[in-house]
Amino acid sequence: MEEFSPGLQGIENFSGGEHKKSQKALPGHYFAPQKIEEALEILSQRGRDTKVIAGGTDLLVQYYDRLYEIGIWLDLKNIKELKNIRINKNVMEIGAMVTHTQLENSVYIKKYYPVLCQAAADIGSPQIRNRGTIGGNIVNASPAGDLLAPLMAYKVQFRLLSIKGEKIIPAEEFFIGPKKTILRADQLLSEIILPLSEKHTYGSWIKIGKRKALIIATITLALIVRMDKDNEIIEDVSVCLGSVAPTPIEIKEIKGKMIGKKIKQLDFNQLGQIVEDKISPIDDIRGTREYRKDVAKNIMIKALEEIDSACGGGINE
Amino acid sequence: MSELEIVLTINGKKRKVKTTTSTRLLDLIRDDLHLTGTKEGCGKGECGACTVIMNGELVASCLVLAPQADGVIITTIEGISHGEKLHPIQDAFIETGAVQCGFCTPGMILAAKKLLEENPYPDEEEIKRGISGNLCRCTGYQKIIDAIKLAANRLSVSDNKRGEKDA
Repeated sequence: MEEFSPGLQGIENFSGGEHKKSQKALPGHYFAPQKIEEALEILSQRGRDTKVIAGGTDLLVQYYDRLYEIGIWLDLKNIKELKNIRINKNVMEIGAMVTHTQLENSVYIKKYYPVLCQAAADIGSPQIRNRGTIGGNIVNASPAGDLLAPLMAYKVQFRLLSIKGEKIIPAEEFFIGPKKTILRADQLLSEIILPLSEKHTYGSWIKIGKRKALIIATITLALIVRMDKDNEIIEDVSVCLGSVAPTPIEIKEIKGKMIGKKIKQLDFNQLGQIVEDKISPIDDIRGTREYRKDVAKNIMIKALEEIDSACGGGINE
Repeated sequence: MSELEIVLTINGKKRKVKTTTSTRLLDLIRDDLHLTGTKEGCGKGECGACTVIMNGELVASCLVLAPQADGVIITTIEGISHGEKLHPIQDAFIETGAVQCGFCTPGMILAAKKLLEENPYPDEEEIKRGISGNLCRCTGYQKIIDAIKLAANRLSVSDNKRGEKDA
């Protein structure tokens, strides 16, 4: 089954698992190629009829009672190069098929991106984390996707491949609405690229939901602060939130209020207020707009307090 | 929907199964292999009743497409006892009264098995996290947690004994 000769001919050959060359590509085909090139070939020819399946933890819920609607399944499970986490010069490359469990347990992720590690550990349940992937979480593009705010806060870029070549796109250009991205039918997300975080970088992750396990977030917040070499002055900061807008968003307005200052000089309440003012949440079953606005402010303050104590609290006084 | 054939090892036996591209692993296990110990609760990965161990990992079989299970090794609840002799976790569930309606039990036991393999001495919080993907509508969680503690004790004792014998 995993053997696949690229091209529509290959799709026809596959039907029924037998070599029935005369048969046309009917709905209901399943491919699990071993090479990325083969996957791209299928997408270039039949991308519109194809569902790319990674862990399936969102897809099989979405298509729960209508799996039969899917014409062609393209399963990425056999493409080994999509399962790596590796350092390449000054960036970390995470393959799209890396699971949440892998993220949670990876020494690299723990060291360089603790907020991403914690977010992965908070997803669903052991069953979901073992199957669900980082690439699936991104391409699914739910405004509540748990990994999205942390990835954005770490200044992520996505490598998109097609037979025409590759494109590298930052997160804020990739997500365009709830469950909407710029990914074309012939493109595949292959890698997640993060700059290696530097020394004196601190992070805080907060997820609010109605219970701990198996919950879609009411609101998420990832705050990353980089201090100077003396651990005193804030050199860079990013705060990103999920479930508060059509896409995960970064609140850029806080940068001017924080960069160049010491933590002790910050007005946490004012920063919380900026976050509250800049989000545009909706009422839904997980929480009201008003609730999300209140909580956004409070969790921003809490995240700042966490960074403050992680930096050593009164170290500067 | 077209047919295809997959091969998988389930509870130690290699099986060839005809399936379709719109069949879930859960349906294949229950309807084609007639192993009905694996239950369907929500069908959306939220309740854990359909939990099986696939390639050494706990998974919700309702969220796996049957063709994705080609070549895998699966353990279901039917595969953990030795004939009539129950697995120590099963014994512990019975003794502790951790079974009420029983619908969550197969998934709970497999989650407990996986947990104790990875962490033979879990504390209460770790047990809770280990079974966090499994819902019990009878809400008999405390007895389930007690059962897992009991099983952990016994398994570690028998491990120690084995160690003594080896020495």
